[in-house]
Amino acid sequence: MVEGSDTYFLRPNHQLKFKPAIVKGYIREIVRERLSGVQYDPENVPELTLSLAESVKDKVKSSGFDRYKLVVQVLIGEQRGQGVKMSSRCLWDADTDNYAEDVFMNDSLFCVVAVFGSYYY
Amino acid sequence: MHSEKKLTKEDTWRPAELRKHIRDKDNRDGHSRRRDDDERKHRGGQSVERRHRDPVESRPERDKERDRRHGDSRDRQRKDGSHDRRGDKDRGRRDDEDRRKRADDGRDRRETAPGKEDLRERERHRDRHKDKEKERAKVKEKHPEEDRDKRREDREKERRREEQEREQRRERRRRDESDEVRRDPTEKLHREPRDRKHRGEHEDKRRDRVVQEDRRRTEDREYKEEVRRHKEERERRHKERRRHDETHKHDSASRERQDSKQSADDVRSSRGDRERTERDKHKERRKKEEETDIERRHKERGHREAEDEDVERNHRARSGSKKSSSGKSPTYEKREEDSNPQTAGGKNGEEKAEKADLAEQEYEEDFEKLEYEEDFEDVEESADEGEDGPDVDDGKEGPPAQASKEIEAIRRAMAEENERAGSARSRHSAVREEQEDKPGGSEGSERNQGETSRRGKFIDFVAAKQREVSQKVATRQKKRSTELLRLIDLDVTATFSLLDLPPVSEYEMYIKSFGNANAKQAYVQCNEDDTDRDVQTEEIEMCEKWTQHPPEYSGACGDPNPSQEARDKTRGELVLDSQRLMSFLRSASQVMVVLLEEDQAERKSLRKLKTQKDSLSFSDGSLQLNAKLPFLLGRQISLVHFSPAQKHTMLSVHTPTATASAVRLDSCAVVCVWNIWEPSRPQQILVYGSEVQCCCFSPGKSSLVFAGTPVGSVVLWDLREHSSTHYRLKIGEDDWTFRHPTFSTDAVMCGSGHVSPVTSVEVVPSFAAGRLRPELPPLASEEESSGLSFQLASLDESGLLNFWVVVELPRGNEAGSPTDLGLRPGGKVKLLHSSSLLTVQRPSLREAAKTKPFQTLLLKYHPTDSNQFFIGTSLGLVSHGTSHGLKAPPQFYRFQEVDERTADVSAIHFSPFRPNLFLVGCADGSIRLHAVSHDRPLAEWMNSTAGEAVVSLQWAQTRPAVFCVFDAASNLHVWDMLKDDAQPVLTEKMTADRVTAMAVFGDSRQQNTYSGIALAHESGNIELRYFTQTLTVPSPAEEGKLESLLTEAF
Repeated sequence: MVEGSDTYFLRPNHQLKFKPAIVKGYIREIVRERLSGVQYDPENVPELTLSLAESVKDKVKSSGFDRYKLVVQVLIGEQRGQGVKMSSRCLWDADTDNYAEDVFMNDSLFCVVAVFGSYYY
Repeated sequence: MHSEKKLTKEDTWRPAELRKHIRDKDNRDGHSRRRDDDERKHRGGQSVERRHRDPVESRPERDKERDRRHGDSRDRQRKDGSHDRRGDKDRGRRDDEDRRKRADDGRDRRETAPGKEDLRERERHRDRHKDKEKERAKVKEKHPEEDRDKRREDREKERRREEQEREQRRERRRRDESDEVRRDPTEKLHREPRDRKHRGEHEDKRRDRVVQEDRRRTEDREYKEEVRRHKEERERRHKERRRHDETHKHDSASRERQDSKQSADDVRSSRGDRERTERDKHKERRKKEEETDIERRHKERGHREAEDEDVERNHRARSGSKKSSSGKSPTYEKREEDSNPQTAGGKNGEEKAEKADLAEQEYEEDFEKLEYEEDFEDVEESADEGEDGPDVDDGKEGPPAQASKEIEAIRRAMAEENERAGSARSRHSAVREEQEDKPGGSEGSERNQGETSRRGKFIDFVAAKQREVSQKVATRQKKRSTELLRLIDLDVTATFSLLDLPPVSEYEMYIKSFGNANAKQAYVQCNEDDTDRDVQTEEIEMCEKWTQHPPEYSGACGDPNPSQEARDKTRGELVLDSQRLMSFLRSASQVMVVLLEEDQAERKSLRKLKTQKDSLSFSDGSLQLNAKLPFLLGRQISLVHFSPAQKHTMLSVHTPTATASAVRLDSCAVVCVWNIWEPSRPQQILVYGSEVQCCCFSPGKSSLVFAGTPVGSVVLWDLREHSSTHYRLKIGEDDWTFRHPTFSTDAVMCGSGHVSPVTSVEVVPSFAAGRLRPELPPLASEEESSGLSFQLASLDESGLLNFWVVVELPRGNEAGSPTDLGLRPGGKVKLLHSSSLLTVQRPSLREAAKTKPFQTLLLKYHPTDSNQFFIGTSLGLVSHGTSHGLKAPPQFYRFQEVDERTADVSAIHFSPFRPNLFLVGCADGSIRLHAVSHDRPLAEWMNSTAGEAVVSLQWAQTRPAVFCVFDAASNLHVWDMLKDDAQPVLTEKMTADRVTAMAVFGDSRQQNTYSGIALAHESGNIELRYFTQTLTVPSPAEEGKLESLLTEAF
């Protein structure tokens, strides 16, 4: 455990800033790949959710948003004609922190993936 | 004092040390301190082996700490103890580890600990060692009951003291805390191997480190206390054992059995045991506290002053005290239990004495018990955390090279014991071994046994350390956050809507289940036949057009398209109608105008009759035609001519004028067509490019005007042509239409035309017309039906007679005819050359020799026979010819006496009543009356004109016996043969305004018979004079007179 000095990076480098569009693209790609044609199965979904979250997290991590803490939220639900509303609210520094979100739907399920990037100063 | 110190020292010692110590003690009890030092050195050697893990620095550090400790006044009270304890702590820890390795649980340890104590006895008697163990176990088992009683007593006493004690402990703890930082490295040394392995597994647990740190702190403190207590207990036990060895020996057999059973149970329910032991902890703790209190009291008794200080300090450190007393490792609890009875027994008295004093505090204590219970849980947790740690296995694994045989022996004994126990607990151990499948785990069952014991202690350290670290981290993070929060703004974002999936409506559900999968129903209106086509460009309209120069009238352009023609046809119908209307209007208007003018003229003439009666004897009235038109100014009237059919229609030929006028018709001859009843203005104005020599009307309706010109051309005007197609000129307020000839033979038909000036044009009377009586003019309808098919004859000076067929085209060509170049565009009437005849047959050579060149000057047709024509010649003769067939006699009509004279025939006129009679006037003034059948005249008047040349001679239209002669001297002679057949009945000399032309007009058929003479004056005036009644009204005798003349002559 290294004693942190009292200098902080209050703003991320522009290149390293959390870019929702890119992250959204990752999410889309991964979710498309993993969920297309998948039928909702209540037994598999928890595992699937975890692994999805893990892979999304890894992917986003590898894309080099330095000093970002990531929160990946994955929700998979069955489509049975019900109405679903899902929203989030954050207390954060809007200058640095951001989130990306994407929704995937097929006949039997819907999947919401939200990635919140919070900057570690 | 010394003994007390010793006690404390022993209390903190480790079992191995203890063993030696005790051993030594047996030999020389008093020199423990010296021994300790030795032992420490010895241990130092032992620890060299451990140094392959532990950094060398640990040692100096520890020494330093120890030195620091010595500086502490509190420690100085029990200097030895604390001194020893420092060393003992290490030692004790190691010993504990050893013990843990060997013993499976608390109970095993209990058994092993005595076993160790027995080591020195084992030298002497090995079996006995076992017995003792069993004895001790039994003692322990008995103890609970004893303990409970004692404990109850103790508790009371304890409670009294506890506050004090806690304060002390708190103080101690405070001190420890300060030390702890220094001690950390040493702790780390122990923890290091464990940490290394745990780092991965327990990373998450670091967060709990703050808590653990606290725990560890307390554990450390407890540990120290424990060690101290161990010493005490062991000492006590030692003594006790000696005391009770013999008494317990006989029980050994049964105890052994129990032991084995217990150990088996322990293995099976090691966890359960721990819990159980923990449940007992607070009780035990109390006991321990009693013990420590007792110790302390000994000290305190010695050091009252120091204790006073403590009390003061306690107040400050109170908060920490609870925890310090709370954490107790299960390993030594039972040992304490063992020792409790002894200590309790020893100190009961004292404690009881204080009991009364501190009774009030009991309640407080009870509350604190609850807190203890909470602390137990913490310990339990930390114990769990430490469970997996393989940590100090090596320590035990690598027994010191120079390890004494004693230790070896102990180990052997323990191994035996474990084997015994292991058989029973094999199942559990196997399972545990699997779980602990780690690199260092080669020790088998022994290790397993060690593990459970190890658990408690090591976990305590880890937890404590972790707690500290995590607290540090927490504070750091807190500082960081406070610093950062000043720099950044946090805001609550608006709610992000991550997903909004509306519920599926009924319709969608229906479609989903019954419709196509990917189809969506939508309402579409299809109306295929309702197409709308749009053409952007309009069709180009095309039509052919022609133009014609001169653009004198609207027909200067047109187009020959069939469609246009069709349109024309429809328009033609309309035109037909309009034409009919026009013709009607024209005629009607003409009638009306004529009526109006007649009325006016009549009144005028009546007036004139009176006024002019004097001037002209023969007339009883006159009518002035309005010839004072701007375009007629300065023109001579060369000819006046009346239409034979329409007797009220007259034309006047005005010669071209040399003087420039307003109108640019200077070089043109103008022919005016008049209706005598409409004298205000001429009906038509005809123009021709040059002079006009002679004129005539078409037969019947006077719709055509023919003219011969000095240039040898014959021209015709179609008066029916619409005035709009002609050149219009606005002069003053009146519009005048100047008609150019409809057809002209000018240079068009040079081959067949005239090359000499045309002297006369005459219409060849048609057969029908010829048969008809001249009095009975053909009906208009007949005339119309016969059309315009008639012949025209034209005679030029050279005697060439040309016959022309007048052809009316069915439709005029607006564009002009490409073949008939003489035809005016839009003109409908043209002349076709039919034949030509050279009429000049000189009568004789003699005559011709002496006369001037022979000229044909006049042409007249027989009124009823179109075959015969009469030509006046320049020799005074009238030649008689026929168009075709045999020549009719006579060839010439001659003078009375001589054959010929050099006098031009200037006038020939057939009698309207007797067509075979005609008058001939000659330039020499002679007048002859001829019958057609005879060459000699019926009568000849030589000097009627007084030698003046006869210019014009005409029969009166209403009286057969009257004729008028106009001579060149502007004298008018009126003959009435009924009255006088030798000379004119009256002669008028009009010298004031010379007359240039004269024509007789009159109509015999109508009721209101009128006749008169038109006189064209030099001034350009045209005067119509009506004959007097005597000259107008015919008498029945007149024709008889003529008849008589005929018969008289032949």
